[in-house]
This record gives sequence, structure tokens and C-alpha cells, in this order.
Amino acid sequence: MGLVTWLILIPLLTAAAVVATPASRWKRIRWIAATGCGLHLLLTAWVTLLYWQAASPDLAAMKSEVLTRLYLVQRAAWFPSLGIQYFVGVDGISMAMVILTSLVIFCGVLASWHVETRAKEFFALLLILVTGVFGVFLSFDLFLFFMFYELAVLPMYLLIGIWGTGPKEYSAMKLTLMLLIGSAFLLVGFLALYHASGMHTFDLQQLAKANFSGAFQKWVFPMIFVGFGVIGALYPLHTWSPDGHSSAPTAVSMLHAGVLMKLGGYGALRIAVYLLPAGAIAWGTVFMVLTTVNILYGSFGAVMQKDLKYFTAYSSVSHCGFVLFGVAALNLVAFKGAVIQMFSHGIMTGLFFGLIGMVYGRTHTRMIPEMGGLARKMPWLAASFYIAGLASLGLPGLSGFVAETHVFFGGFFGNQWTSQAVTITLTIVATMSIVVTAVYVLRGLAKVFQGPIADPHFEHLTDADLSEKISTGVLIGTMFFVGLLPRFMIDLVEGPLMPLVNRLHAVGAAAVH
Amino acid sequence: MPDMLMLPEIIVVVTAVAVLVADMFLTERSRARLSGPVIAGLAAAAGALLLGANRPGNMLGGQFSVDEVAWWFRLVFVLAGLLTVVLSSDMLSGRVAAPLRPVGYPGEYYAVLLLSVSGMMYLIAARDLLTLYVSLELATIPVFALAAWHRGDSRSGEAGLKYVIIGAMASAMILYGLGIFYGLTGTMSLDGIGRALRAAPTSPAMLLAATLTVAGAGFKLTIVPFHMWAADVYEGAPTPVTAYLSVASKAAGLALMFQVLLRMLGGQLAGWELTVALFAAATMTLGNVVAIVQQNIKRFMAFSAISQAGYLILGFLGPAKEAVPAMLFYFVVYLVTNMAVFACIVWYGNETGREQISEYRGLSRTNPLMALAMMVGLFSLAGIPPLSGFVGKFFLFSIASRAGCHWLVAVAGVNSTISLYYYLRIVRQMYIEPVYEGAVRLPVRQPLGLTVGILSVAVVLLGIIPCLYETIHAQTIAWLARLLS
Repeated sequence: MGLVTWLILIPLLTAAAVVATPASRWKRIRWIAATGCGLHLLLTAWVTLLYWQAASPDLAAMKSEVLTRLYLVQRAAWFPSLGIQYFVGVDGISMAMVILTSLVIFCGVLASWHVETRAKEFFALLLILVTGVFGVFLSFDLFLFFMFYELAVLPMYLLIGIWGTGPKEYSAMKLTLMLLIGSAFLLVGFLALYHASGMHTFDLQQLAKANFSGAFQKWVFPMIFVGFGVIGALYPLHTWSPDGHSSAPTAVSMLHAGVLMKLGGYGALRIAVYLLPAGAIAWGTVFMVLTTVNILYGSFGAVMQKDLKYFTAYSSVSHCGFVLFGVAALNLVAFKGAVIQMFSHGIMTGLFFGLIGMVYGRTHTRMIPEMGGLARKMPWLAASFYIAGLASLGLPGLSGFVAETHVFFGGFFGNQWTSQAVTITLTIVATMSIVVTAVYVLRGLAKVFQGPIADPHFEHLTDADLSEKISTGVLIGTMFFVGLLPRFMIDLVEGPLMPLVNRLHAVGAAAVH
Repeated sequence: MPDMLMLPEIIVVVTAVAVLVADMFLTERSRARLSGPVIAGLAAAAGALLLGANRPGNMLGGQFSVDEVAWWFRLVFVLAGLLTVVLSSDMLSGRVAAPLRPVGYPGEYYAVLLLSVSGMMYLIAARDLLTLYVSLELATIPVFALAAWHRGDSRSGEAGLKYVIIGAMASAMILYGLGIFYGLTGTMSLDGIGRALRAAPTSPAMLLAATLTVAGAGFKLTIVPFHMWAADVYEGAPTPVTAYLSVASKAAGLALMFQVLLRMLGGQLAGWELTVALFAAATMTLGNVVAIVQQNIKRFMAFSAISQAGYLILGFLGPAKEAVPAMLFYFVVYLVTNMAVFACIVWYGNETGREQISEYRGLSRTNPLMALAMMVGLFSLAGIPPLSGFVGKFFLFSIASRAGCHWLVAVAGVNSTISLYYYLRIVRQMYIEPVYEGAVRLPVRQPLGLTVGILSVAVVLLGIIPCLYETIHAQTIAWLARLLS
């Protein structure tokens, strides 16, 4: 079996191993989960190397026909009479996303080291969820893609409903239903693409060759973009995200904000923009406006929050706005920014939610006003928190800076289908959010970690233990790596993004003549 | 040897008669063990179907004719009957917790059930109006009695009575419609009617006949607005009978639709897309919205089954080449899934006497495997991948999309989300809500546990392994080629 299939199978097999272990052996269960995810991380590194080896001559050639090429492809007919196939492979974008997911799930399992209640079900569901996520990032057949997509969404209900906090049943139901309404839109779009292409296939690369009419693209594009927008927290469909993230247990918030929300940006780019360039051109401005609202709304929302998790959840809405903003800006720099922001935000927000879980596990409160002076008792956690905060406000040297500069430059350059004045104005407005982010991040962190110790109970708190140090250390290291050596990420994603831009230009040029 | 064609039907009828006769000579205690021979009989019928392979052929001067599609229907009917017997055996042998009551008279019960199964099998094999109508009645009338089997329980009596009245009305409509078809064409043969109607221009009388018969079949399939009887009958009938109603009776409705719409009116559905689309949209929406507020699990399953019928008839929007395999596949999947869910409901009811949704709380802690099976079944009904329910729905939605009804795909997609909401209500009770004080692990008897296990595995595998769909597809192509020649 091919390596790419193993990337999907390892979490599933780990889940099966967890299920086969008796529930009373919860310590063994967490070791199984951690081993599985560790193995997956190694395999991901190996696949990355292989990909790099295979792709670098192609990327160096920079010819458009080789840039759409996939590597380590596996293909098999599945429902041949309907043209459905099992079709997986990697390109630079999916490679970046797989690395992200593999890192976050590994750290997520470590961050859940102390889950004891119904640990077996917890880890099994977590691993099934992540199977779906890997499947989405690696599949290039729309049917397969959709199947994995829903598989990634559903375990969330139980994960939040059983292990969550606060109004968990409400949040779980809201999240599940909103995301599935989004996938109902996707379903309409995918089926319309399948039938309109007349090619009897769900193969993404084949569909790209189909000649969809302008009118068709104009109604299908918003269907698919909004469908993905729901999970990417597109304003005004983002309301599930603050509730869901704050009710979810630590690892689930990490995975959800860190990885699942990226499915939205990934799908919007890979499917909506790639297959429907004329639709993207027609709707680009509208979605740029909406995502600008996203960015501002999220950051102002975060200013108002008292609960650390709500605080981070709103900041996620704002940061995911950057992703969709980059996608809607329709140029290469912005696309690059969007993908790097997906990666960077995934790591950063995974770190944030992981840290919040660790702090909450000690203080038993998440309310910012009730905390203070924690840096003295837990210097490691405080330092990590500050690094995550600085990344989120875009400090140079950390990954957030690379991503956000790309997005803003991209927005500023604009594209020839939207008036330059509009894109520049929107970009400037969006940039304002950096200031707001600085306000809430610095103020919030200062309250939690600086000053006198707010509660006598806090005197006895301890700093991070080994599993927590590994988990936070890995994520911080990644942020520095991308921030200091951005070349790696840029090279990874730039090649596969070129064809998207080329297609946009081809359609744009045809419309002019 | 053409006579072998009817072997499965003959086995079913012989078993029915044998059970009835044996019942006269048995003691009360040994009667409880009658389920064994009945299961053997139905298994033999299923075996005859499977070993006899899927070959077309005629008997009785063409009045009885089996083909590829009929074969699948007969398999569905036999399996539905078989599973119903498995589900009934505990109730008939008195292993039922209060306040539910045991069902008496096992011999008669099984005989009546088997006769109904045989009626359904003849229904899809019938090739002339008279056989069609008689087999329809043979399929339906026994179920009236089954629905009212709880003697002395007023809800069961009401269910039976309601079903008799509504069923009689539906039969009358079908009979009237069939009569007009005969009057229009002067032949009793279904294929002959089909040929004559294809040659003739559309007339108001033909439309009336089509409307009446399709509406009659709509009662069986619980298409809105012909669904009103379902909730009360499903709630009042003994639970295994409810399972039988929700699967076999719907399959009979679909078989009748196939006979009428494809065989008799084949190729004349051109102007009907919008009508079908509206009925489908109304059926799935009403079923789903009303299911949200149900508290009794059997009523709940009634509305869930109504909405499933709404998805099913999306298939009539498209060309038969793709629609027939999609509908057959969906139905096989629905049979497996719904029976898995009902097996859990029957088991839980028998063990605890509980039938309210809120009474399922904590099941995942006392019986994790049964709760898992129930969850898998419910998720498959909701159309969650990678379960087979998702694949089945996807194919049907694809047909609506192909017909250009994108709005209908959106309606269906949103409906699936609504349905997930109420299926999750049960999952929530089982997995999230606290367990009953002092609840202990409930015993699972082996035949039932085995059945649930096999069905659950099938629910998962049918969605992943393509061979079932591909087989149905290939066979349907051959069937269509003959039908349209």
C-alpha cells in the first residue's frame, strides 16, 4: 500500500487499537494514542522528504503543466459505473496541511494526557476525527473528499458533548448543525459540477479541464465558497466557533481551531477557486468585504472577552478571516499568505488552546479577571503563552509575521478585476486589526501572568510537566522555524498555487477579449 | 427447469401452511419454539433465491415473471420477513418486561407474517392486473391483523383499525386506477398496457388512472399527504411489526411504483418532474420536522421512515438507467440500517419495557456495543459517511441534481442536517446523559445480538465496498434493455 494511504490509515488503526484495549487500562490507551501519532509524525517527515525529492526538479522547471502534478499518487476505481475513484496524493499545499495536522494531533494527544473519564472513547473519537482530516487534505476525488470531510466533522459532537465544559450540549449541537448545513451547500455544488462537466467523474484534475459556463460558475462558486466558509468561520456564519471552541475539551479545541477550520480555506482555494475561476472573479470583491468584516469583528470581539477560551476563539475568527481574505484577494502573494496563515494559525492556536487547557487544569478558572501573577508559579507556561501571543500579533521572527505580511501585500496589490481603491481600502481597514490584536493580547496576558498573585490557592501551583513541555515546545519550535526560515514554507506552497493564478488570468483575459 | 422460478415463493407459502398445521398439535411451551422452523423456512427461501442466481424467466403463460429487479425485491422481502421473525421471537415466547406485553398465538402470527411476505413476492413478479391486485391484497391484509395483534391493548386495536380503513381506501384507489388502465387498453397484461400506452397520446383518463394508482402506492410508501396513518399505526403495533411495516411494506409500495411507473407508464414521465420533486420535498421536510418533537421512539421512527421515503422517490426524477440501481441500492441499505435500529429498539423494549427517547439515557455505559450499533444505524439513516446510508443518499441526490433540480438537492441536504439533529437526540441520551441509578448491564440474547452485529457490519461495509452497487447497476442495465424493447 502506498505511503499516502498509510498517512490516512495510521490514525484509523490507532483508533482500532484503542478500541480493542479494555477501558480500565486508560494509561495504556494514552500511550497507544501517543505512539500512533508519533509514528504518524515520522511518516509525515518521510513523506515530506520523498515529496521534496520528487518535486524539486519540477518546481525548478516552473512550467505550468508540471505544477499541477501530484506525487505519491494512488488511484483505484471505487464505484466505476459512477466514475468515483479512490484517488489520493500530495502536492505542496496538502503537504503543508498534513504536516500541520500531524503536529497538532501529536501535541493534542500529549495535552490530553490527563483525560481519565472514558479515555478510551475520547482517544478513539479524536483519532477517527483526525483520520477524516488527513483524508480531506490528501484526496483529489470530490466524492472521497466529501466523505472524509463529514467524517471529520461528526465526532466533534460527542467530543464536545461528553468531555466539554459549560453549555456543552448546546455548543456541540450548534457546531455540528451549522457545519453540516455548510456541507449541504457543498453537496449541491459538487453534484452540480459532476453533472455539468459531462465527464462522469469526480476527479478534481479532470474536472479542472471541463468548460463550465460563466453563468454556471457564478451560482456554483458562492455555493461552494460559502459551504467551506462556514467551517472557515466566514462572517456571518462563524457563530458556532466561539461557542464550540470554548466548550470543547483542550485537545479538541486545539484540533478544531488549529486544523478543522483550515479545511474551509483549503477547500475554498483548492476546489472553489481552482475549478471556478470565473466565479471567483465575479464574487471576489464581495467575499473580500465579508472577510474584512471577519477580521475586524473577530478582533473587536476578542477585546470584550473575559474567558480565556472565548478570547482565543474570537481571535481565531479574526485570524481565519486572514485566510479567507487572502483567498478572496485572488493573486499569488495573497494565496501564499493564505496557505502560510493556515499553517501558522494552526500551530499558534493549537498552542494557545493547549496552554489554556494546562492553565485551567491548575487554576480551575478561565476567567481573566480572576487570575494574576501566574508567571511566578509557572514560568514555562507563561513564556509559551507570550510567544503564542506575540505570534498572533505578527511579531517578526515568528510564523504569524510571514503569513500576515503576505496576506496584506497580496490584498494591497489587489487584482485587475477589482478596483484598486477598493482592495487598498479593505486592506488598510483589515490591517487595523493588528493594533487591536496587540491591545487584547498584551492586556489579557499581562492580567493573567503579571502583577501580584490574585488568589492564595495559586501559591501551590506547579509549572508544566514533561508531556506538556514536549507538546508546547514542539509547537513553539515550529513557529520559530517558519518565522525565521520562511523559505521552506514558501517553496512548499508556491508551485502548486501558480496554476490557480494562471487559470484566473486565462479566464480574465478571455473575458476582456 | 422453469418451475424452479417460483421455488422461493413456494417455500414461503409451504412454511406458512406447515406452521399453521403444526400449531394445532403443539403444546403451549413448544409453540414458543416455532420461530426456529420459520427462520429455517425463510432462510431456505433466501437460499433458493441466492442459489437460483439472478436469471429472468416466465411461468404460467407469462403471468408470473421474474427478472433482475424482481429478484432484488424478492430478496428484500424475504430478508425483511426473516429479520422480523428474529425480532419477534422474544415477544412471542413471553420474554418481555412490563409494561410491554408478550404477543400470543405464535403459530398464527408466523403464518400470517409469511403469507404477507409471499404476497409481496408475487406483487413484484406479477405481470397482469389481476395477479398484481390479488398479490397486493395478500401482502396487505395480513398486516392489518399483525398491527392489531396485542389483543386488549387499545392502542394496538386502534392501529389495526386505522390501518384497515386507510389500507382499504388505498386499495380502492388502486383498483379503480387499474380498472381504468384496463378500459383504456383492453388488456390485462402489464407489458401490453405499457406498449399500448406508449403508442397512444396522453389522455385525461390515463392521467386519472396513473394518479389513482400512484397515490395508492403513496399510502404504502408514506408519501406526504398519504402518510397520516403511519405514526399511530407504528406506535400501536407490536414493535417487530412496526419494523416490518417500515421496511417490507415500504418495499411493497416501491415495487408497486415500479410496476406502475416503469412498466406501465414507462417513458411517459417526462412532464412529471416538478410534481415528483414537490412530493419528495414535502415528504422529507414534513417527516423531518415532525420527528423533532416526538418523544416515543416508535412514533419517532415512523416520521424518520416518512422522510426516508421522501429521499427515495428522488429516484423517479431521473432516467431509469441510473435511477433504478440507485433506488434499489438505497432500499437494500435502508433495509439493513432500519432493521439494525429496530433490533436495538425491540431489544431495549423487551429488556426494560421502555419506549420513550429520554429513557435511553446512559445506554452506552451499560451496553456499549448495543449503543454503538444503534448509533451506527442512526448515523447511517442520517446519511453520515462512511456509512452506507450516506452513499445511498448521495446517489439519489445525484439523480435530482442531474435532473436540474439543484434547489431540491439543497432541500434534501438541509433535511439531512435536520434529521441529524433528531437522531443526535437519541445519541445524546445514550452517550452524554447520566446513566440510570443502579443500572446494570442488560443481557443480550445470542440470536438477537448476532443479528445486530451482522447488520451493523453490513451498514458499514455496504458503503465502502462497491460490489453491491455495481452488481445492482450491471443487472439493471440488462433489465432495462429488455423492458424498453
